[in-house]
Formats: sequence, C-alpha cells, structure tokens
Amino acid sequence: MSAPTTTHGDESHAPAHVAPAHPSVGSLGVDSRKLGVWAFIGSETLFFAALIVIYLINVPVNMARADAQDPKELLGIAFTSILAAILLASSLTMVLALAASKRKDMRQFTIWHLATIGLGLCFLGGQVYEFTHLYEEGLTLSSSMLGTTFFVLTGFHGTHVAIGATWLFATWLKVRKYPDSPENLMDIELAGLYWHFVDLVWVAIFTLIYLI
Amino acid sequence: MAVIERPHGGVATPQAPVSKEYMGWESWLTTVDHKKIGIIYMVAAFIFFLIGGIEALLMRMQLGTPNNTFLSPDVYNQMMTMHGTTMVFLVVMPFNVGLANYIVPLMIGARDMAFPRLNALSVWLFLFGGLMLYFSFMAGGAPAMGWFAYAPLTMKQFSPTFGVDYWIIGLLLTGVASIAGALNFVVTILNMRAPGMSINRMPLFVWMTLITAFLLVFAFPSLTAGQIALFFDRHFETRFFNPAQGGDAILWMHLFWFFGHPEVYILILPTMGIISEVLSTFSRKPIFGYAFVAYSGVSIGFLGFLVWSHHMFAVGLGPLANAFFAAASMLIAIPTGVKIFNWIATMYLGTIDLKTPMYYGIAFVAMFIIGGISGITLASPPVNLQQTDSYYVVAHFHYVLFGGAIFGIFAGLYYWFPKFTGRMYNELLGKIQFWLTFISFNVTFFPMHITGTNGMPRRIYTYEAGMGWDLYNLISTIGSFAMAVGVLVLVWNAITSVRNGAIAPNDPWDGASLEWAVPSPPPAHNFDKTPIVYSRRPLWDIKYPDLDAAHEIGTRAISRRERMEQEMAKMGEQLGEDHIHLPSQTYNPLIVAFGLLVAGFGAIYIATPFAFIASLIGLFIMGVGIVGWVRDSHKDSPYLVSH
Amino acid sequence: MRIPRHLAKLLKAGLLAAAMLSLAACASAVGLDGPASTLNSAGDQARRIEELMAPIFWMGLVVFIIVEGFLVYTVIRFRKRANSGIPAQVHGNTRIEIAWTIAPALIAVVVSVLTFRVQAANAVLPADSLYITAVGHQWWFEFQYPEQGADGQPLLTASDMYIPVGKSVIITLKGADVVHNFWVPKLAGKTYMIPGKVNYMSFTAEQPGVYLAACSEFCGEAHALMRFRVIALPADEFAKWLSQAKVPPVAAAGAGVLNGDPTRGQALFADPKKQCASCHAVDGTAAKGIVGPNLTYFGSRLTLAGGILPNTPENLSRWLHNPGAMKPGNLMGKVITPTWVQGNLTEQDIADIVAYLESMKISVDLPVASK
Ligand code: HEA
Ligand code: HEA
Ligand code: CUA
Ligand SMILES: [Cu+2]
Repeated sequence: MSAPTTTHGDESHAPAHVAPAHPSVGSLGVDSRKLGVWAFIGSETLFFAALIVIYLINVPVNMARADAQDPKELLGIAFTSILAAILLASSLTMVLALAASKRKDMRQFTIWHLATIGLGLCFLGGQVYEFTHLYEEGLTLSSSMLGTTFFVLTGFHGTHVAIGATWLFATWLKVRKYPDSPENLMDIELAGLYWHFVDLVWVAIFTLIYLI
Repeated sequence: MAVIERPHGGVATPQAPVSKEYMGWESWLTTVDHKKIGIIYMVAAFIFFLIGGIEALLMRMQLGTPNNTFLSPDVYNQMMTMHGTTMVFLVVMPFNVGLANYIVPLMIGARDMAFPRLNALSVWLFLFGGLMLYFSFMAGGAPAMGWFAYAPLTMKQFSPTFGVDYWIIGLLLTGVASIAGALNFVVTILNMRAPGMSINRMPLFVWMTLITAFLLVFAFPSLTAGQIALFFDRHFETRFFNPAQGGDAILWMHLFWFFGHPEVYILILPTMGIISEVLSTFSRKPIFGYAFVAYSGVSIGFLGFLVWSHHMFAVGLGPLANAFFAAASMLIAIPTGVKIFNWIATMYLGTIDLKTPMYYGIAFVAMFIIGGISGITLASPPVNLQQTDSYYVVAHFHYVLFGGAIFGIFAGLYYWFPKFTGRMYNELLGKIQFWLTFISFNVTFFPMHITGTNGMPRRIYTYEAGMGWDLYNLISTIGSFAMAVGVLVLVWNAITSVRNGAIAPNDPWDGASLEWAVPSPPPAHNFDKTPIVYSRRPLWDIKYPDLDAAHEIGTRAISRRERMEQEMAKMGEQLGEDHIHLPSQTYNPLIVAFGLLVAGFGAIYIATPFAFIASLIGLFIMGVGIVGWVRDSHKDSPYLVSH
Repeated sequence: MRIPRHLAKLLKAGLLAAAMLSLAACASAVGLDGPASTLNSAGDQARRIEELMAPIFWMGLVVFIIVEGFLVYTVIRFRKRANSGIPAQVHGNTRIEIAWTIAPALIAVVVSVLTFRVQAANAVLPADSLYITAVGHQWWFEFQYPEQGADGQPLLTASDMYIPVGKSVIITLKGADVVHNFWVPKLAGKTYMIPGKVNYMSFTAEQPGVYLAACSEFCGEAHALMRFRVIALPADEFAKWLSQAKVPPVAAAGAGVLNGDPTRGQALFADPKKQCASCHAVDGTAAKGIVGPNLTYFGSRLTLAGGILPNTPENLSRWLHNPGAMKPGNLMGKVITPTWVQGNLTEQDIADIVAYLESMKISVDLPVASK
C-alpha cells in the first residue's frame, strides 16, 4: 500500500476545514479541552440530579415518621440566601476576570480572579457554619432522612466548590508564572466554565430544597 | 518529547528522542500511546474473562446434579456475584474500551486519543479497581449479593463482611475510569477526525463507540450516586436504603437500573459496531443502509434510558408504570430489528468470505436474535412475572451477552489480530474454536430457557431432584466445560500465533477503513501524513477507484481520480506537518491511579485508624502524580517549552 | 366478506386455544411439565399468563424462523466461490428500510395490546376475597389470616399456605428484613416482598392441589432453601381446616413419636431455659416468641425448615440437633449450636419436643400432591 492519504470521492464532499497536526481546535471547531469539560459537566449534572431526586422523593415520604425533622423549620432561608448571593456574585466576578484577561488587563484579572476564589471560600466557610449550626440543633447524617439526604447532597456540592476553587487557584498560579502564554485565556475559561456549573447546581439546590 | 520528522516521500524514521525513553516493560507502565493502552485493556479484560469463566465453571460444577455439596452456599453466592460483576465490569466493558482505544483513532485518522495521559489514567484505574474487587477474597470474603446488589441485603446488618465495601470502592474506581474514558472518546471522535472525515463518513464502529461514550457519561453517575449513598449507609449510619429507618429499598433499584439498562447497551453497541465492520468487509460490500444502522444505534441508546423499570416489574410499581416500560422496551425491537435486517442485507448478494471473524459475525446475528426475542417476552409484564428471577432470564442475558457481546468481541479479536500483533492467527484453530464455542454455547445456555420455564429460580446454590431440572442442568454443565476447551483453543491460538504466525500484511482482509492503510502493527505515530478522507470507505475507494464512485447518496457516479489526487496533494501542503508531536511517556497517570487505590483502601477501612493513614498517603501519592502530570502537560505546550 | 362478531370472537378464542394446546404439547415433549412448571397452570392468573405466552411464543418463533432462515440462506447462497469477484456495491434502499422498520413495529404493537389486556385482567383485586398476609423472612414464609384466629385475632402459620379452591384470595405481601419474592408458578406470577412497602396480589386456585412455591429473589445465604407450599382445598375442606386451626391445640396424652412424651415436650418447649419459646409460639401455651415461625399445629405441616425437608419425626430430630448444618446461615442455628444442645438438651428432651410438635395435628383430606 502506498501512503494512506489518497482517497477518492466526490468533490462536493471536500472537507470544509483542515485540522492541524496536533489540533487543540479540532474537527468540530471547538477546543478539545472545552469539549471535554462540557461532557464532564453533563455527567456531573446527572450525578447531582440523582442526589437531588433522592432528596425530593425521600424527605416528604419520611415526614410521617416520629423522628422526622422538618426542612421548613431547620433550614433557614435567610442565611442560605446570603450564601446563594455570595456564590452568584462569584460567578459575576468570574465573568469579569475572564473579560479582563481577554483585554490582557493583568491587574484587573488578578483582582477579579482572586475575588472569585475568595467568594468561593466565603461560601465554604458559611456552609461549615451552617453545618455546625444544624448539627447543634440535632440534625445529623443519621438523625433523620432529612439529615441523610441534606448533608450528602450539600456536602458533595461543597466538595465541588472546593475543587473548583482549587482549580481556579492553580490556574491563577500558572497565569501568574507565564503572564503572556497564549493558553491563558482557555485555561481561565475552562476553570470558569466549571465554576459556573457549580454555581448553577447551587441555584438548583437552593430553589428546590430551601425555597420550595 | 518525541519528535518525528515529516518524511519527504519516504517512510518516517523516528529521530533520536529528546527526552529519556522508557524501554521494555517500563514502556508499558509509562505509555500514553492509545495502541499500547488498548492492548493493556484487552489483555487484562481477557484474563478477567478466564477468571470469570472459572467462577462460572465452579458454579456449573455445583449445579450439575441436584443436592450437590461441591460448594458451600456462601462460596456459591460469592462466585455468582463475582462472576456477574466481573463479566460485566471487568470483561466486556474494558474489552470494548480497549478495542476502541486501539482502533478508533486509526479509523478516524488521528495520531492518538484527545487526552493521552487521561487515557493512561483510565486504564490504570480500571485495572486497580478490578484488582481491588478481587482483593476482597483475601479480606474476609467477596460480596455475596448478586451483581445488582439489592438493598437492604447490602446493609451492614445483613452483609457484615467487607465484600460489599470492596465492591463499592472497586467499582467506583472503574467507574471513574469509564467516565474519563468516555469523555476521551467523545472528544476524540468529535474533534480529532482527519480532514474530510465528516460525521456521516465515520465507520460504524466509531459511531457505536461514540453513542456508547454518551451512554457512559449519562448512565454512570446514577450508579455512582447510589454507591456513594450505600457507602454512607454502611459506614455513617445514614438512612438512604434502610427501610427500618424510613429508607427506601426501591430507590436503590431505580438508581441501579437507571444505570443498569443503559449499561447492557453499553456492552452491546460497540460489538454491534464491530459486526458492522466485519460483515461488510467479508462480504466485500459496503454496509447496507449506513445511515439507518447509525441512527438505529442512536435510537437504541436513547430508548435505553426509558426502559429501566422492566427489571422491576415484580416490584409492584403499578400497572400504568409497568405498561409504559413494557411498551418502551418493545419499541427497542424496532431499531434493533433494523440493524439485524441491514446486516443480513449487507451479506445478501455479497461475496461472503468465511474467515473466522466472519463466522463469529454471523453467529452474533444468529444468537442475538434469540436473545432479543426472549427479551421481548420478558418485556411483557405478565409474562415477565413468571419468567423474572428464573433461569429464563439467565438464558436471555447469556444469549445477548455471550452470544452477542462476547461473540462480537471474538469477531473483533480475530479481525484485528493481524493489526495488533503483525501476525496472522491460525485459521484452522480459529474455526475449531468457533465450532466448539458455538455448539457448546447453545448446549450450555439453551436448556436454561427450559429450566426457567419449569420454575427454577436463579441464584440458587442447590435444588432438589425431580423438578424437571436435573437433566437440563447436567447438559448445561457439560456444555460449559466444552466451552472452556474452546476458550483454551483460543488462548493457544493467540499465543502461538503471536510467536510464529505468518507475518501479517497491512491489509489482510482487503478492508475499507483507514486502520488497514497503515503497517501492522502501526507505528507509534500511526500515520506518516494525516490522511485526507473523501468518502465513507477511504481505503477501499483508493484500491477500487472506478468501482464505486456513488458511495454517497445523491452523488453522481463519476471517476475523477487524477483531479482528486491533485487536490489532495494541495491539501497535504496546507497541513504543513513539519514534524509530528507525540506526548512523552510518563509514570504520572500510574502514580495518580495508585494514590487513588491507596486512598480507596483507606475508605474501605474507614472505621479504623488505618483509614486515616492510608488516605493521607494515598492523597499524597496522588498529589505527587498530579504535580508531575502538570509538568508533563507543560512539555506539550509549544509556548511553555520555549520559556 | 365480513365475519360476524361472535364468529370472530370464537375464531380468536379457538386460535388462542390452539396456540396454547400446541405449546403445551411441545412443552410436555421436552419435559416442561414439571411440578413447578409455568406452562401447567392451575390458577386463573397463571392461566391468563400462559394464554399470553402462547401467542407471543409463536410470534417469536415465526420471527425467528424467517430471520434466521433468511440469514442462513444468505450465508450459504452467497458464500465465496472460486469464480466470485467483487459484488455490486449496493449502499441501501430507503423503501426497504421503511418496510422493515414497520414490520417489527406491527409485531410490537400486537404483543403490546395482548399484553395490556392480560395485565388489566391480572391487576384486578376482586371484592369478595379471602385476605392473607404473607411475610418474607430470612429464610421462611409467614402467613397471617387476619381476623381468622381465636377471638378475631390473626391466625398465624408458616410454610404452608392453605387456600380454598374457586375463591379468589388477596395476598398482602411484606418483607421483614430484605427483599424476597413470592412465587407459586402454577398459580400466579411473582411479586416482591419488600421491607417498607406493601404489595398486593390476587389469584384463584382452579384445581385442588399442593403447589410448590419458592422465594425467587436473592435474599442471602440460604435463599435457595426458602420455599413454601400452597395447599388449595375444596371449599368445605378449607372450612374444616380453618375451624380447626382457630382452636388452640392440646398436647396429646401418652407416648408420641420417637417414644417421646408430648406433655413433657410441651413443658420443655415453653421453658425459657430451653430457648424454644424465645423465638417460637404455640397458640394457647406459654410459648409466645415472635422471631421464628409460629409452630401451632406443626404436626400438620408438610415440611420443616422453611419448606426444604419432609416433616418427619426423624428430620425434626436431626434439625433440633443441629439446625445450622441443615440450613446454613439461619438464625436458629446461631443459637441452637451442637455445643449448646449438648449442654442443655438430653436425647430424651429432644424426643419429647419432637413428639409434642408432631402431635399437634389438624385433620383434613389433603389433595394429592400436584403432578
Ligand atoms: C447485551 C446485553 C443485553 C441486551 C442487548 C438486551 C436486550 C434486551 N433485553 Fe435484556 N437483559 C440483559 C442484557 C441485555 N438485554 C441482562 C444482563 C439482564 C439481566 C440482568 C439481571 O437481572 O441480572 C436483562 C434482563 C432483561 C429484562 C428483565 C428480566 C427480569 O429480570 O425480569 C428484560 C425485560 O423486559 C429485558 C428485555 C430486553 C429487551 C426487550 C431487549 C431488546 O433490546 C432486544 C431487541 C432485539 C430483538 C427483538 C431481536 C432482533 C429484532 C428483530 C429480528 C426484529 C423483529 C422482532 C420482533 C418484533 C420481536 N432484559
Ligand atoms: C458477558 C457476560 C457473561 C459471560 C461471558 C458469562 C459466561 C458464563 N456464565 Fe454467566 N452471568 C453473567 C454474565 C456472563 N456470564 C451475569 C451478569 C450473571 C448474573 C449474576 C447474578 O445473578 O448476579 C451470570 C450468571 C450466571 C449463572 C447463574 C448463576 C445463578 O443465578 O445462580 C450461570 C449458571 O450457570 C452462569 C454460567 C455461565 C457460564 C457457564 C459461562 C461461560 O460461558 C463461561 C465461559 C468461559 C470459560 C469457560 C473460561 C475458560 C477458562 C479456562 C479454560 C481456564 C483457563 C485457565 C487458565 C489459563 C489459568 N452465569
Ligand atoms: Cu427469600 Cu430469596
Ligand atoms: Cu434492561
């Protein structure tokens, strides 16, 4: 066989674009890593959907039990509204950070990027505070179905926030070390993408579990 | 970084490597080459197949005669659970992943997977997950609960040994591997196609791999969530599945089967892809109804998410729910039927070359029809209530899993054996193995329809005489041992052929897709020049340019070879491939996987001080691996390398 | 030509019957008429399922023959020969594709419609039924007849479920520990017994008989040894059984089986030091345990140890010596170990207990065990 490149077909089917040898932007016209992060987010969505559905199905059914604990009584909306606001604000700062990095405004980028991480940490701190508070009120992993499903769901969300914050931080380190690397924009965008997802999960949790 | 100068006309010769290259066995541990990773997957999966098969043989020994005492009930139950878990999670899935790893990049004209290091991480996580599961035998006993692990039998109260925990953590590791692998396939297939390899020109194996990857991405999280909840129930006294405290045993069933049914299509779709390639190649015809075969795969994947409760007809979900899931299940007969008919039509009017892969391809179709029809009877709720949890179900799923998935895998194994090894397998031994396996497969599993209809429940370690089960069980047992002989012939054929088989040419079967255009086995960089694709059967159309120009619906039959070649030459220049960059070998994925393994052991013994130490050590190892990984990835970045 | 409606109905019924009879004939030819065969129904539910299995089976067979036939024909007809060249490169044909999309769809519709009809018929819980509660335990079946015992209390029994022929029964299904599965192949399909959920099923036995039944969901170590029997009696016989079962038994005087003394056995059974009563109860005595099966009228049970052994004095004696060996993993075997027995029960004690338990009998004419 000669070189594998010779094939035959109709010219109307000639390729619309040409991929580079080691493409980061590939045959779909999207950066590979971005595509990967999107697919990963799809998978994570189903993971959280499962945990949320477990909560939504089991907690009401268990309200009839003698040891039931009422989410309406235990889960304060006021405090978690603040947490939600913090996280939403962090999405905004993330957008600003990305915009700044597009403008190659390193100072602004650093401010907004670190603000995002800071807000994330505030959220985590608030969650730790909320958990201890609930624990003192008698809501634990094993005290009721509410405790079981609530802590596992919000705990896993918190873990994801922590992972997201770490990711953002690592991105910041890299950008700081190589301020004019052409990859920075994509690095920041990916970390930001994940961060927005984590925020959105919180919006879902907040709406479905605290508000309704 | 390995740099290979782009050849000017000649064959690529690797230049002296820039960084240290690992040789020998180390080259396997450090590899990021999709082909080597594919081989690791396949070899490991095959070894697990032998182990799962030995477990099956032990079960068949016990069931050969009534009131047998060869195995104690506890051992039998462990064998039964491990057999099912092994065959599903450690044999068919990884084998398909391994095949796809090897073949898909070649088929789409890529040099590697999109994320080679992630690919290496996946294979090690899969391997460690499997080894961890098997370690349970030495740590107080394997799980004994059946492969779908219904709660509350899995609660600590009823399953006090660590078997269940090994099952959870081991499968979580393989689950992470599967999701990471699936992401990799999604990105690779969507994004790494060679110029001209549009979606509707991809070989059907690539299509089915893509659909499977999406199924994995969306189905696995349900199992993961369930396993995490189960783990919390066992160790932190949560209540998810514990009815005594308000938990819901049925919730586990939903979580499991929402994963579990798509899972069975995860097992079969890639092999349907293999079959589509094999049947077409050995009939010397293009696949009949390419688009219909591809889209029926999509609709099987989609419908696969809507039928999970057909495993739960006896749960008492109510007639309405049951009717819905019954109807949805029967709908799947339609796209599956379309596939079957198209396969037969592909052979019709063809020139059928009866080589061993083709034998298995045809047998796949023949056996899958039987398994599919028994699936349809199971999908009718009233009938199901008599057949569920009986040997009839065991017959059904071995027809689709062995007669389907494993036959498909065997077809693929023989088909691509020359490509993998550079050697031809022994055709006579191949045919002997085929007939042994095909006949004894039916001898083993067909009688199970009868024992099931005769009222034999599944998962029983013993039964009494006189129920009308004795003879058929004995036949099954005899068949299973004949099947073992068949497997040994396969092992023998593989080993001797790798050593002294005839040297394989690039294109032994007169194939149509790009993997046959490169040497057997392919060089590390796969293609000297990125191929440019003008049709669905790129290689075939070069070989027979004037035979079949009308290969795409709506195009005129024309032959303009010369002009085409000119145009392609132009394209090639545009590509400007001065050198081929391949990521360098690295231990880091292995280190990360190992760290996760150690942390996983910590999780299993979470109630002991050992847990803390193990988790710390594990996380530390993982951290080391991740730091190294980041360094590795910097080496791929032209910018960072130059700074 | 239009076929009159009743004729069409008759035709359809005839066709169904023919389908079923021919299936039954095939079935018995391969030995598919065992004592637990699903193709040998004796109850309304199982019969309707059998009537549904038949057309599905034949349709499946037709599909099988056509498709496999075509496959085999193709392979043989178009296999490579010495003179075969490259065949015409056919890529597809949309019209054919549509045809073979519609064909299986039609079959699926027919199967679905037949299915839904049987499903609806089998989902009915008739108003005037006998209620029985069945509870799955690791690894035995408990049966409760609500309000049928003395003073309107539930009547408790285990491993043998008595029902009247020709009258529908509604079974309330519960799981005590893990998921079990209630299956009497000749009478009805399966229903899970799930802890935390209550299920209902209904069936009518159409012929008297002793029907083998088993737990068919994996429920732990001795899942294989979890069985029971349904004893369908003619209505008057059933009434006789019920009226006797209501009344607490009295231990027979004089020597019993195995030269045991039933009266002494009764005292031993209720003696807290001998442990029997901590798990088992016998109505009208001091033994009121609820962990294990209620052993009232044990002498009439067909089997012991959760349906696995014929109820003979010898088997019972063997069981009492070492229950753990006969049914691995069972709860009784964890308490009543051979060492414990040696320290706490003499041979005579065991003989007496056996004599006592076997002496409590209800007299009814059992139907001949079903073939
Ligand atoms: C490779 C894996 C695989 C595949 C492809 C399938 C395919 C199908 N399965 Fe199967 N199934 C399993 C693996 C698989 N199954 C396993 C492992 C279990 C048991 C799990 C456990 O309990 O341990 C199981 C159990 C199972 C059950 C539950 C049984 C029970 O426990 O009660 C049901 C019920 O509906 C079912 C149905 C089906 C159907 C309708 C299909 C359809 O997709 C089949 C469609 C194919 C055809 C119909 C044949 C080809 C079509 C034609 C020739 C067209 C014309 C035909 C007709 C119109 C009939 N399967
Ligand atoms: C792809 C999946 C797959 C495959 C290939 C098989 C293959 C086989 N299976 Fe099964 N099986 C399952 C998936 C599979 N199985 C599942 C999911 C279950 C359900 C489990 C559950 O209920 O939870 C099950 C359950 C199951 C049961 C029911 C157990 C029960 O309900 O109690 C039985 C019983 O006969 C059985 C038998 C067999 C046999 C005889 C083979 C044979 O075909 C095996 C053939 C292979 C060999 C014979 C290996 C040969 C090995 C050698 C020759 C040794 C060589 C040694 C060296 C070189 C060192 N399997
Ligand atoms: Cu109870 Cu199986
Ligand atoms: Cu299914």
